[in-house]
Amino acid sequence: MIFLLSVLTILNFNSPKMEIDSAWVRPAAKGMNSALYFDLRNNTSNTDTLIKVSSPVAELVQVHETLNKNGLMEMKEVKSLGVHKNQIIKFAPGGYHVMLIKLKKDLKAGAKVGFVFYFKKAGKIKVTAVVKSY
Amino acid sequence: MMNKKILNKIYFIIFFSIILILLNGCGKKLPEDRPIGVKNIVLLNQDSSKVIFPDSFKGKTLLLCFIYTNCPDICPMTTHNMQLIQEQLKKENINNVQFAEMSFDPQRDTPSILKTFGDIRNIDYSNFTFLTGKSSDIKSILNNMNILALPGDTTKTESGTPVYFFTHTDRITLIDKDGKIRNEYRGSKADIQAVVNDIKILGD
Ligand SMILES: [Cu+2]
Repeated sequence: MIFLLSVLTILNFNSPKMEIDSAWVRPAAKGMNSALYFDLRNNTSNTDTLIKVSSPVAELVQVHETLNKNGLMEMKEVKSLGVHKNQIIKFAPGGYHVMLIKLKKDLKAGAKVGFVFYFKKAGKIKVTAVVKSY
Repeated sequence: MMNKKILNKIYFIIFFSIILILLNGCGKKLPEDRPIGVKNIVLLNQDSSKVIFPDSFKGKTLLLCFIYTNCPDICPMTTHNMQLIQEQLKKENINNVQFAEMSFDPQRDTPSILKTFGDIRNIDYSNFTFLTGKSSDIKSILNNMNILALPGDTTKTESGTPVYFFTHTDRITLIDKDGKIRNEYRGSKADIQAVVNDIKILGD
């Protein structure tokens, strides 16, 4: 019985997760805007949905996508984003980004910024991102 | 005797012409050669100093891009590309090139905001300037240079600060010493070496 419980515990700890890798943020001054980039990997066995991202450094945080419409660059808010099992979605310059609107402080190269990601099934995931120099 | 001398002269002329063509960047030409279409427009740089556009830049090759500082994604990419081009030119000892970023959002992008945007990116201002100005003046430059910038819907933050973004052209423009447009690039996706090569074709 104890053996079975410990196996279950190990299985639970090692259960596949929603992974957020290589998170970085652009430098920006207080009052201005920035963006968060990362690789999102769904290692679970289900489709999940990113509902929102929060951070104490900005007044407003939204998931956005940059679109190229006949040479004109446009940004759209993405209210929720489905991630299939085994899917990797790259949040990268010129595409998906988490937009940090009206920063409450300067984000200078080398600084660290905390975020909380909210998924429908996986729940809350904490992420720390580094500010790059560009 | 006489014939041989003439022949030598002809050989020399051919040889010399080939050298000239090679020095001219293998005879490559830039795709554009058209005027900017505006003159004597008074703008302000990040220090609130007056800059006459494009007249202040005549006699120098000018790499000009169009941005707004509230942009979190595309305009920082373009700015970073401008910095990479600036660094590359310095490495290759190519001088007489000026870099400028013009805001198409002059209402929000005051000189001090532009300075803040530049400072946090460690811009090397030695040959790099930001430009803003009266809305009507900026508009006439944008129209003449085929730059579109359309403000989108306004939302508000918790504290009630209005927030809006632009749908905009993504552009870096290469302008020669005589103030003529010689090439245009996707600002955020510009090929650094290709731009540097074009600048070389224009020469000192
Ligand atoms: Cu955005």
